[in-house]
Amino acid sequence: MAEIACGSRDTREINAEIKRTIAAGDRDIVVKDPGARHNLGVAVLAPVRIRFAGSVGYYCAGMSDGPHIEIDESAGWGLAESMMSGEIVVRGSAGNGAAAAIRGGTVVIHGDAAARLGVSMKGGAVLVAGNCGYMAGFMGQKGALVVCGDVGDAFADSMYETVCFVGGRIGGLGTDAVVESPSKEDAAWLDARLAQHLPEARKRGQDFQKIVAGRKLWNFDKREWKVWQEAL
Amino acid sequence: MCGIVGFFAKDGGGQAEIGQTILGMLRALGCRGPDSAGVALYGPPDDGRFVVRVKLGDDGDLESRAHQISSRLESFNGVSHFSTIGAYARFLVAGETDLQQLTAAIESLDKDFEVVSMGRRLEIVKQTGSPDNLEKTYCVSRMKGTHGVGHTRLSTESRVDLSHSQPFWSHGFPDLAIVHNGHITNYHQLRRRYEQHGVRFYTENDSEVVAIYLSEQISKGATLREALERMLRDLDGSYSCLAATERELGFVKDTFALKPLVMTETNEFVAVATEEIAIRAALPGQYSVREAQVRELRVWQR
Repeated sequence: MAEIACGSRDTREINAEIKRTIAAGDRDIVVKDPGARHNLGVAVLAPVRIRFAGSVGYYCAGMSDGPHIEIDESAGWGLAESMMSGEIVVRGSAGNGAAAAIRGGTVVIHGDAAARLGVSMKGGAVLVAGNCGYMAGFMGQKGALVVCGDVGDAFADSMYETVCFVGGRIGGLGTDAVVESPSKEDAAWLDARLAQHLPEARKRGQDFQKIVAGRKLWNFDKREWKVWQEAL
Repeated sequence: MCGIVGFFAKDGGGQAEIGQTILGMLRALGCRGPDSAGVALYGPPDDGRFVVRVKLGDDGDLESRAHQISSRLESFNGVSHFSTIGAYARFLVAGETDLQQLTAAIESLDKDFEVVSMGRRLEIVKQTGSPDNLEKTYCVSRMKGTHGVGHTRLSTESRVDLSHSQPFWSHGFPDLAIVHNGHITNYHQLRRRYEQHGVRFYTENDSEVVAIYLSEQISKGATLREALERMLRDLDGSYSCLAATERELGFVKDTFALKPLVMTETNEFVAVATEEIAIRAALPGQYSVREAQVRELRVWQR
């Protein structure tokens, strides 16, 4: 296992050392004292394990393709943005725009997520043990968004095919968001994913609500002008 | 951009190293606001006298300007401890002095004079440049007290000078100070309304209206919490804002969560900042930090 101490070094040097360490063949890296620096561990394109022993700032693990990145404390804005594949785990809370525009992989948040969680997701899965803030799931195109606690206002607004599951209360549904009962297959999928990623948040028999797009905004029809007025 | 920070010591008997902590937090956010830096610190509880800080000017012969003020103050009773520090004159006045009259007397002497802060415990120090510059001129790190706020500014819409820097004291209302990161989009509308009622604006900075608004609400009998709640209703735009009074520290985040603000609370302190990097840089130890949610507001009181 390789250890990288952040000390007083800037992000560019730390990221360069992460890349060098991976190139040298290490597959298990611990980054000490990240001190909530921004842009740590971006664009890691190999199936390696990286643990940040502390908090990270903005855009950590953005554009990842394959790594397993774990953050001991909290993460700032834009966690795992545009990730292609891999698994990003945050032990604490995540800031605004976590898992925005991911195309694949899994983002696991053990604490709470702030506003705009998983906006414009194009695949992958996001699992939050706690609550999430305002406008989660906005314009989600594919993938799954699971929040075990409460979700904020304007949830699942203007979505395409992202499927959301909420274990707690919904602060308010966004435009065109529709609540359904999860199917047996949904429940089995949820149970398996929670058992794998968030065993502490998995409560047997917990009722999840399923939220999908009502598809009213997918095609423009001037007879539905009222819906559009509300949406825009 | 801009960076804002707030720190509230739960104990320490008014002798917490708030200057050191807030400067440490500001240094970490220096890159968010290279134009100016400033702090509003609440010193140890005192004997009821008011601390007054007056901006002498951005340049010129500051000593003779300070003399102009000290001569003018001779006609007021209870003025003591007059000193000049950097671009400021600082003195104490007895609690029974008519503060409005005092402010008017000073500010009518010269158009550059501005009472930058006044309060039983509030001290505002701000200037253009980095937090390091602020420390060099004013030794902010030596100041002790109970709580305070700080700001690093990246100017977007108004000029860069001392008066336009933050924190803003709410002119005329003792001990109320704010720092703000964002834009108040109905600023001109609010400003017109206040000006029609005779309120003087000292700057073109939209953050000034936050201080004026909060002092108006508190003057009408609102608590700081109620004033911040009303702010969410009446002030449009994207903002994260910290406000402090003699005994309180509070924050509010706008209705779209467009501006960052993170917070932590332990048994010893509360720290709030634009970025977690500021809290981690200034405060060692084990604690967890989280982003404030949309429309979230909190107030801590001693």
